[in-house]
Amino acid sequence: MSDQSKKPGDPLSQMLAALPKDVQPERDLWQGIQAEIGKTPIVTDSAPVVHFSSSRWFQMAAGVLLVLATSLTTFVITRNSMEKDAAVQIAQQQQPVPAATAPLNAMPVSFGTEALGVDYMKARSELDQRFEARMKTLPPSTRAKLERNLADLRHAANEISATLAENPSDPLLQDLLMSTYQRELQLLSDVGEMPVSHPVRTDL
Amino acid sequence: MQYGAGANDSVPVADPLLSDASLVTAARGGDMRAFERLYRTHSGKVMGLCLRMTRRRDVAEDCVQQTFIRAWRNLQAFEGRSAFGTWLHRIAVNEVLSHGRNHGTRSESNEDAIESAIAEPGEGAKELDAGEVMDLERALTTLPEGARHVVVLQAVYGYSHEECADMLGIAVGTCKAQLHRGRKLLRERMGLAAEANDE
Repeated sequence: MSDQSKKPGDPLSQMLAALPKDVQPERDLWQGIQAEIGKTPIVTDSAPVVHFSSSRWFQMAAGVLLVLATSLTTFVITRNSMEKDAAVQIAQQQQPVPAATAPLNAMPVSFGTEALGVDYMKARSELDQRFEARMKTLPPSTRAKLERNLADLRHAANEISATLAENPSDPLLQDLLMSTYQRELQLLSDVGEMPVSHPVRTDL
Repeated sequence: MQYGAGANDSVPVADPLLSDASLVTAARGGDMRAFERLYRTHSGKVMGLCLRMTRRRDVAEDCVQQTFIRAWRNLQAFEGRSAFGTWLHRIAVNEVLSHGRNHGTRSESNEDAIESAIAEPGEGAKELDAGEVMDLERALTTLPEGARHVVVLQAVYGYSHEECADMLGIAVGTCKAQLHRGRKLLRERMGLAAEANDE
């Protein structure tokens, strides 16, 4: 957007530019939109790249990682929530005990992949290495697109993770974070399993 | 915050900490709740655009609905080169034009709908009193369609000649001429002094 149509000092331009941009619909249109898009789901970019027998190991690995990630995230969220509750209770019961509450309050809250444990990080790292190795064999345009998609997913995961740290009880954010991790793993897995001679999908 | 089917009574407020890009990324993975947040964030602006272009609330609401349905189906095509809001506006303009082609452009406008819609001026209208806003909105509805579309897109929503021409599928020169024409007619109808450039 630009200001080409605006003439500084012109009352008409100022009046037009100052008109309210937002006008709320009278009825809630979301219900109709939801009903319609529910019938025709979008083609997600986490669709498998190829289907062949050797991909089963990767699919299983991604599945196991997802289950692991889900469990650990739930554990971390629950633990953080319980610790916060405990801290509040302790603070309420024992007002003048700064030494006991200080470490809890100072504990960093993180919902990133680091919070999912060493095993998860190790397995994810292996998928990442396969991904990187396979990426080196791909054409530059495909590589650029895949790298951008992966960067988008990781950026989204970081942002959602940071927001979740502020709102740990938000179920939408928890789901969003898990689905974003799931799609990242799926992308790593899909690219890692692509055969060298197979035509490459670029719409991942 | 409430989401999904339970969102009727209490409209969820978009989380300012989550960017459109992250919500789009989640929605592209099929997450409908992320898309609902995008809807809650952008539907007001899309509605304002459609209402001013169509001059009819019922048609505008249909266009808004179709805009978001089309956006969902084409999320994979959104490459993030422009802002998500701009991409939505492009789809909305297409919907309005398509509706006009399929149903004909009705001459009668629903001025009451527009006036009631802007009866509670938004943040941008703080400098104008309600009477001025209504007079200007009323004057906008009387503009010929081509001029109105260009004035709305450029003067109200701030798009450039090139963006506007691209959205409407017209030449940049036509766009400039329509803006000139629209501004001149608005001045006449608002009783404002003619500007040198408009003459």
